[in-house]
Amino acid sequence: MIWILLGLHVLVVAALALPGLALGRRALLVAAVAPAATTTWALSRLSADEPATASVAWVDRLDLELAFRVDDLAILMTLLVSGIGTLIFVYAYGYFSPTAAATARFTTTLLSFSTAMLGLVWSDSVWTLFLFWELTSITSFLLVGHKDVDPAVRAAARRALLITVGGGLALLGGLVVLVDATGASRLSEMGPVTGTSATVAAVLVLAGAATKSAQVPFHMWLPGAMAAPTPVSAYLHSATMVKAGVLLVALAGPILSDADGWRTLGLVLGLASMLWGAIGALRHVDGKLILAWGTISQLGFMIALLSIGDAKATFAGISVLLAHAVFKAALFMVIGEVDVRTGTRRIDELNGLARSMPIAFAVAVASGASMAGVPPLLGFAAKEAAIEAVIKLDGADPWIIGGLIVLGSTLTVAYTVRLLLGVFGSGDGPATEIAPLRPAMAGPSAILGVLSVAGFVFIGAANRLAIDAAAGLDPDAAAFQLYRWPGLTTAFMISAGIVAVGGGLGWRLAGPRAPVPEPVAADLVDRIVDGTILGARKLTGRVQHGSLPVYMATMAITAALATLPFIGAVDPDAVYLWDSPAQGALAVLIVGAAAATTMVDTRLAAALGLGAVGIGVSGLFAVQGAPDLVLTQLLVETVVVVGFVVGLGHLTRRFPSSGTQWRVIRLSVATLAALGTVVGLVAATSAPAGEPPLQALIDESVDVGGGNNVVNVILTDMRALDTLGEVVVLAIVAVGILALAAASSNRRQQEAT
Amino acid sequence: MTTTGAPPPPPSRAIELAVRTVTPVALLVAAFLFFSGHNQPGGGFAAGLVIGAVMGLRMIAGMPFPRNPGLFLAAGAVVVGLTAVAPLLWGDPFFDQVVLEWDVPILGKVKTGSAAVFDLGVVLIVVGLVVAVLDGLGADDLADRVDAGTAR
Repeated sequence: MIWILLGLHVLVVAALALPGLALGRRALLVAAVAPAATTTWALSRLSADEPATASVAWVDRLDLELAFRVDDLAILMTLLVSGIGTLIFVYAYGYFSPTAAATARFTTTLLSFSTAMLGLVWSDSVWTLFLFWELTSITSFLLVGHKDVDPAVRAAARRALLITVGGGLALLGGLVVLVDATGASRLSEMGPVTGTSATVAAVLVLAGAATKSAQVPFHMWLPGAMAAPTPVSAYLHSATMVKAGVLLVALAGPILSDADGWRTLGLVLGLASMLWGAIGALRHVDGKLILAWGTISQLGFMIALLSIGDAKATFAGISVLLAHAVFKAALFMVIGEVDVRTGTRRIDELNGLARSMPIAFAVAVASGASMAGVPPLLGFAAKEAAIEAVIKLDGADPWIIGGLIVLGSTLTVAYTVRLLLGVFGSGDGPATEIAPLRPAMAGPSAILGVLSVAGFVFIGAANRLAIDAAAGLDPDAAAFQLYRWPGLTTAFMISAGIVAVGGGLGWRLAGPRAPVPEPVAADLVDRIVDGTILGARKLTGRVQHGSLPVYMATMAITAALATLPFIGAVDPDAVYLWDSPAQGALAVLIVGAAAATTMVDTRLAAALGLGAVGIGVSGLFAVQGAPDLVLTQLLVETVVVVGFVVGLGHLTRRFPSSGTQWRVIRLSVATLAALGTVVGLVAATSAPAGEPPLQALIDESVDVGGGNNVVNVILTDMRALDTLGEVVVLAIVAVGILALAAASSNRRQQEAT
Repeated sequence: MTTTGAPPPPPSRAIELAVRTVTPVALLVAAFLFFSGHNQPGGGFAAGLVIGAVMGLRMIAGMPFPRNPGLFLAAGAVVVGLTAVAPLLWGDPFFDQVVLEWDVPILGKVKTGSAAVFDLGVVLIVVGLVVAVLDGLGADDLADRVDAGTAR
């Protein structure tokens, strides 16, 4: 069934990508079929005892495989990815106008993301997980950059990509260490690890999770990603992709919780993000940005809970994850609807929407209250469990962790109240004018709003999801549950205090506030990117100056400097005059021709001199008994002569005169290159690495290649891969020459006209 | 067109006649080198150079020659690439060789194999490279005159 569902997704993507299929925004409704089917399957798996699995091996010996294992946590995540996903597709249908451009691209990318996300939450093999992890980063980049004509949007998309993919690299490193330490590549087969390598893995895995879940200090991409169309923000940036980091922490928890640093680092990341995100949410006036910063805060809350490593905290973390996905997606949808119907989402510009948009108002209040942790809503039950878990910890933990969580929750209540009052409250001015209701937008958000309530009323269902999922991570978690009414416990009193203080704070802060500048860090990423590009351009300008003599000199000097250090390897005894006197005669010819080439002043004479050198060298090959080399050398000389004949017609007959200084420079470079060559050759012959396996080569040539010419059998058979590389280099050189010739001929034509 | 030097002299009849005579002979030599390479000096690289040299001569003589090095390069790259990966289709290793041997009337025992196909790709790439270089060196005006029909 796993294959069928993934296949269905891919098939729908492929079908919708067909050219000429002008469905417009209706494609979104077609695409909703795939997540809807997946949701149905996930619901049917709720009562399953055994996890569904599927796998196919790719490279056995490297343990590379696509392996899926849909356990209870994966089912919970599937319901978020596909259940909320189905609603998102319907919502997006309402969000886009019938004439909106590029809806086909949007639909296929969004469904591709959905597919990648499913693959990610279903993964068992860490390599499968990594593959889909990166796919979500890439599709997210495309979705954030949907309005690609706006440079600010492109910059935001690039920033999101760089940070999440950078974190992906850290994650890959962490997974490699993890696989090495545990000896298994499937998450379900990994046991707990400790020691240095476990700590390294913990840091790297947390870095990956922190970038994906926008945790401090990697959070700056998420507010920028609000440049995406709102359905994307509601889907990726609340319910699914940003949850991947939380899921990773949950999955790695049982394996790494004993590693030094895992708990501390996770708690620091999570709690810092919880506070900093809440503060950020209080500073913004754009409703979507408030929600984005609130998401950073809530994700931090979950990561902190899951890092504690206590069964009850893990259970609470999973419960918050469930509640958050439901209420945050609904809030994003409401803000998107407000944006579409009023043309703005700034809380200081909106007025009196509570009366004119009653459905949105009701959904926002239900979801917002769930976010703030007010009964009778799902978010309240989850937050109660969290506070309950934290105050039962040992030692100073309840005071430190608990204190920070209480502080973060208070701020959460404050920004929720501020958002609701800002968007829906009535101020002094006239009520904001609104466009007609769009049922496709209001419907999905209403369903999620109702779910926040229903999750509390039918708390058994929510419990079943959360308990089963948490028990997969920590069997002790099965002992806990969410309560509708916990009684007048300490946790409830704390909750009441949070709501009272936070509500008052939010009331005070509501109303227009001066917009704050983007945090420095967002700029920093952009500046690093711009600086790199600028630096590369400057460096290229410096290095690629276009002077052929300097290029030649650079190559010659570099080669000489590379070989000269081998002068120590030269064995004077290995140097002898010649094998046969014929070599001496040829050497005289070669040296004479070379010297003459440098002295003549016409180009044709120099070409002839070079030809003589080449023929002399082929004579040396002949004396050594290498007919293949002779043939090749002579043919190359022939082609070079033809080339000179073709090329010389375009040049002056004589060389341009150059000053003495320039001659001295060239002479020095030539001498250096000659020294380098001699040293390299002599050093190489001084230390032969044993007898060459001549007879073995000949035998193999006849035996394997069926030919007697050993050289050619080596070229085309035994070492065919090397030859392939060489001819590819030749082809690339030729393509380069063609491009250069085309460029210069274009330039000449432009100059001519 | 040219920035320096005198305009290229008009191609002479004598050169044209010589190149016209040499072309088939050189192609035959190239074919010989190609096939003899298995047991004697020669091979794809040498054959490619000979063909390339002939192209250059035709260029100088202002005679028509295949003016699309990209085509040679592409064809060569496809051939060598396919010879490399084709064995994988049969579950054999990358670049696995097949040697064929059969009796042909007159020629006697003929032995060939996938190495010859690979070598053919090398020929095509070398010819493409030589033509690209010569073309880049500025044979364009020679060829322009051929295209304009003013070569003779």
